[in-house]
Amino acid sequence: MRVRLSTMRYFLAEGWKSTKRNVSLISLGTMAVSIFVLGVFGLILMNLSNVNSNLRSSIEIRVYVEDNLTGQGLGALKQQIESIEGVHRVTYVSKEEGLSRLAKQLGEKAGLVDILGENPLPDTFDVRVFNADSTPDIASRISNLPHIIGVNYGQGFTEKLLSATRFIAVATVVLAVILLGAVMFIVGNTVRLSLVSRAQEIEVMKLVGATDWFIMWPFLIEGMIVGFLGSSLSGICLYVVYRACISRLGLVAPFIPIITETAPVARLCAGLVGLGVLMGVFAGGVFIKKHLEI
Amino acid sequence: MLIRFYDVTKVYPSGATGLFSVNTFIGKGEFVFLVGPSGAGKTTFLKLLTREILPTRGQVLLNGRNITRIRPTEVPYLRRTVRMIFQDFKLLPNKTVYDNVAFALMVTEKPRRQIGALVNEALKLVGIESKAEMYPDELSGGEQQRVSIARAIVGDPTVLLADEPTGNLDMETSWDIMEVLLRINKRGTTVIMSTHNATIVDVLKQRVIELDNGRIVRDDEKGVYEGEAEYNAVLPG
Repeated sequence: MRVRLSTMRYFLAEGWKSTKRNVSLISLGTMAVSIFVLGVFGLILMNLSNVNSNLRSSIEIRVYVEDNLTGQGLGALKQQIESIEGVHRVTYVSKEEGLSRLAKQLGEKAGLVDILGENPLPDTFDVRVFNADSTPDIASRISNLPHIIGVNYGQGFTEKLLSATRFIAVATVVLAVILLGAVMFIVGNTVRLSLVSRAQEIEVMKLVGATDWFIMWPFLIEGMIVGFLGSSLSGICLYVVYRACISRLGLVAPFIPIITETAPVARLCAGLVGLGVLMGVFAGGVFIKKHLEI
Repeated sequence: MLIRFYDVTKVYPSGATGLFSVNTFIGKGEFVFLVGPSGAGKTTFLKLLTREILPTRGQVLLNGRNITRIRPTEVPYLRRTVRMIFQDFKLLPNKTVYDNVAFALMVTEKPRRQIGALVNEALKLVGIESKAEMYPDELSGGEQQRVSIARAIVGDPTVLLADEPTGNLDMETSWDIMEVLLRINKRGTTVIMSTHNATIVDVLKQRVIELDNGRIVRDDEKGVYEGEAEYNAVLPG
């Protein structure tokens, strides 16, 4: 379809005029809040998967070894672990190193270590795997080897994090569908108002032979404008609120690995605006098609 | 032959019969009066030509083409060649005379640079060029009808349908409108006009098609309003 520049100007002018006449602050606000809530869920989801991938890349199996093992036995055991499929790297940590590591972690409370007197820690191997998903499997194979007291890889925690992420993802999708309904309703209502106020004009347009597309365009543009305004409002709010949150959170709880870079958050906000525009056009199109019987 | 009705029947969903087995043809450049009592089928006849309604049976041909079979997307293009005017003018109150006429060209995507000349020509033809900048509610009924005629003919349609165009006007103004319609007809546009105005029909002596109960009961070359007495039971106005 070829559209003249002057025709395009007409569509835009009509769409904008109609939006100004028919859109209310309440409907824009409702739409902005709906999309804002969706954005909040999106941000939670983004952060959870960020935490998830951080954790997965740092997963390590700590293998505790019996005290009476000599250098040769330790060497043989290390080889045995290394030969398990999926194992990336095995590092030996002697009980002395383990104790100094513990002292470092305790910081100013390092005096506790002295109180213990004798070193209570066993020798350990730190095992890195290629694929985080195979961690439980490899850990159980290691624990079946001789001279192993136990293994630890934060059992249970990763699984819980994964299922939480999945839950939020599903919730986000469900919410998106519900909010789509809300946005459809708001845009539909605005378009309905402009349909009423332009009924005479549409009658004349049909009478003199304007095509259906010609009649529909201003309404699609109106939907687009309403969608853009509502979602921009929420996109900007979301961005500002998130920035404020991370600077506060950075002070209160710096250990939480929250996303602090600007780019991914800005992308999410821009995505919301795009989604708002698409939903607006879609709602406008569906509504006008239904009511014009074209 | 420009227009042909072939065995056209229109029954509305309510069960009312608009037209019943109508056969007729109208040549290019003709001026035809459609007469008959209210509910006789005059408006149905006109609406079939703009594809506002579809017949229940039969064919309506325009330039040899069966317009009951064209695709919905082609209907707008049909309406650029078959234009209609009404008793109530259907002008847009928030647009000037000029803009009302230009609107018909703009929404049918005529290039902008052609619009000005075409609108002025149409306004001149109907004799209202001096009021181009006025709004419809500043005009008399007759002047408003002239504007609506200008809007109808501005794209140079082949057929002009007029559904009781003088129905709301006094006799003197009605004659002015008739003069405009005849002038347009002289330029080659086929005009089909439904009317209850006996004087106009009798004086102008054009072709008269009389409908009653959806059937053509009379078709006279140079006819008058009243045919045989039995068809003249109801004559409002």
